[in-house]
Amino acid sequence: MRVTITRTILMLPVLAYTAFSAGPYLWTAVMSLRTTDEIYRSHYGLPIPAHWGKFYTAWTEFGYATYFRNSAIVSVVAVCLITVVGAMAAFGFARRRYAFRLREPLFLMIFLSVMFPPQIMILSLFQILIKYRLFNTLPGLILVYVATELPITIYLLRAFFAQIPQELEEAARLDGCTDWTMFWRVMFPIALPAVATTFILDFIYFWNEFLYAVVFITSQEIRTLPLAIQFLVSDQYQDIGMLATGLMIATLPILVMYLFLSEWFVKGMTAGAIKG
Amino acid sequence: MFLCPALFFYFAFIIYPVLVTFFNSFHILRQDLGLTYQFVGLQHFKEILGSDEVFWKAAGNSLTWGIVAPIIDMPLALTLALVLHAKVPFARFFRTVWFTPLLMSYPVVGVIWLWVYNYDWGMANLVLRAIGLGRYAQAWLANPVTALPALILVTTWMFTGFHMVILLTALHTIPQEYIEAAWVDGADRWQRTFHIIIPLLRPTLVNLAILDFIGKMKQFALVWVMTRGGPMRGTETVATYVIKRAFEWRTLDLGYPSAIAVIWFVIIFGLSYGLTRFLQRREALEF
Repeated sequence: MRVTITRTILMLPVLAYTAFSAGPYLWTAVMSLRTTDEIYRSHYGLPIPAHWGKFYTAWTEFGYATYFRNSAIVSVVAVCLITVVGAMAAFGFARRRYAFRLREPLFLMIFLSVMFPPQIMILSLFQILIKYRLFNTLPGLILVYVATELPITIYLLRAFFAQIPQELEEAARLDGCTDWTMFWRVMFPIALPAVATTFILDFIYFWNEFLYAVVFITSQEIRTLPLAIQFLVSDQYQDIGMLATGLMIATLPILVMYLFLSEWFVKGMTAGAIKG
Repeated sequence: MFLCPALFFYFAFIIYPVLVTFFNSFHILRQDLGLTYQFVGLQHFKEILGSDEVFWKAAGNSLTWGIVAPIIDMPLALTLALVLHAKVPFARFFRTVWFTPLLMSYPVVGVIWLWVYNYDWGMANLVLRAIGLGRYAQAWLANPVTALPALILVTTWMFTGFHMVILLTALHTIPQEYIEAAWVDGADRWQRTFHIIIPLLRPTLVNLAILDFIGKMKQFALVWVMTRGGPMRGTETVATYVIKRAFEWRTLDLGYPSAIAVIWFVIIFGLSYGLTRFLQRREALEF
């Protein structure tokens, strides 16, 4: 009896917070299936009938196909680059074999730059990108993205590479592996679980990034999704129904993957904040 | 060598730009003056700290955000984590739902919450009217007094699930023996929670609070999408002010805003170092 009462009391904050947490997004999801006219008649009506065609309209007529493609290109290319570059560097920082005099101070510096506010770089990056004709291009944005997420990626992966026993490295070497083949054939596959967490962390960061995109992208046809939404909300403020559909297009790919791989996502997103 | 590509990125796109920003902060570099360097020493810094009221307003807002957010987020996340830890049914489901907001971009979150705060049909006023507090219903983002708290609540919505998950992980690592020993000694549920569990979570709580503080001090995107720093600079943060001052002022200007960025960089580093020392007593800041 007492257990039941305690349970009920405990459930109250849980349910209240769940309503607060899920309410706004569910409301948006419902609106994404209703036309703006229907929404203005009643903001909290159910999507009957459901206008699935709105997704097609948003995709073809409102430019979401382009924005989605831009976001996909930027995120996929950047995350592949950073995974390769970051894993190699983490490996170099982790193994005793590659130690050199300035390695530890260098690593400390990289670690500290996790805290840098973006403003300290963004204005001069603007200058630099213009100088090398990378301003207002997707490759320029990708390079900046890779650089800004590198410190945290290296930091997280180094902790993992440092745990791999020395014997494994020696065994691989006895079998005639060069440093290069040993890294790709032995070390990198072992590190895949850790690589998966940074992969998710970086991918979500790239997919959602806004500040650098606002400053470095000015042409409409290369806008990424977050940037496009910011412009659409000021240009088409009245068209709530279509905006809601757009928000779904921007979030659903991530959320659907999250539904299936939630453990991995939680691990990836919290990796940066747990003591390494 | 394995480090080379990473070091190229790091020095070309992080260290070099930081140095250039420091360099620029001592110069006038404006488009209307032909974007040529003109050395002015500490003039920008004097102006910012001495007579730039917008900077002080923005700094105040950012600091408020940085301090208030952890004060709200930490107890809330801790409560939720303790409740889930007490074997509530469907704990996994709740955890999954609470964590979701973190996976959305700031513009998406911003638009959703613009609707939530809508005066006529937003959820915030709807709830107030439903529970009989309709007289408090208002245009939350149009009033300079309520706009900043309204935005702080949005970041709470985004990040509480994240903090909760980390606290929950920490809770699971507490050795069962400690709790059993306390139980044997006759400590009831409340005593066990407040005298055993929470002190053991302290390092995690401190780490999270500092991370939260740093994150909020850099806040840009939510403000940019929802209020643009208005009304009457009520939600202006240092981050939005730097960008406005550089790209949306009379002319493109890379000198003066660089000086603001340098000041803010020093403040963030100083404060997070100070906070770490103060709250953790010699334990290093770890991510």
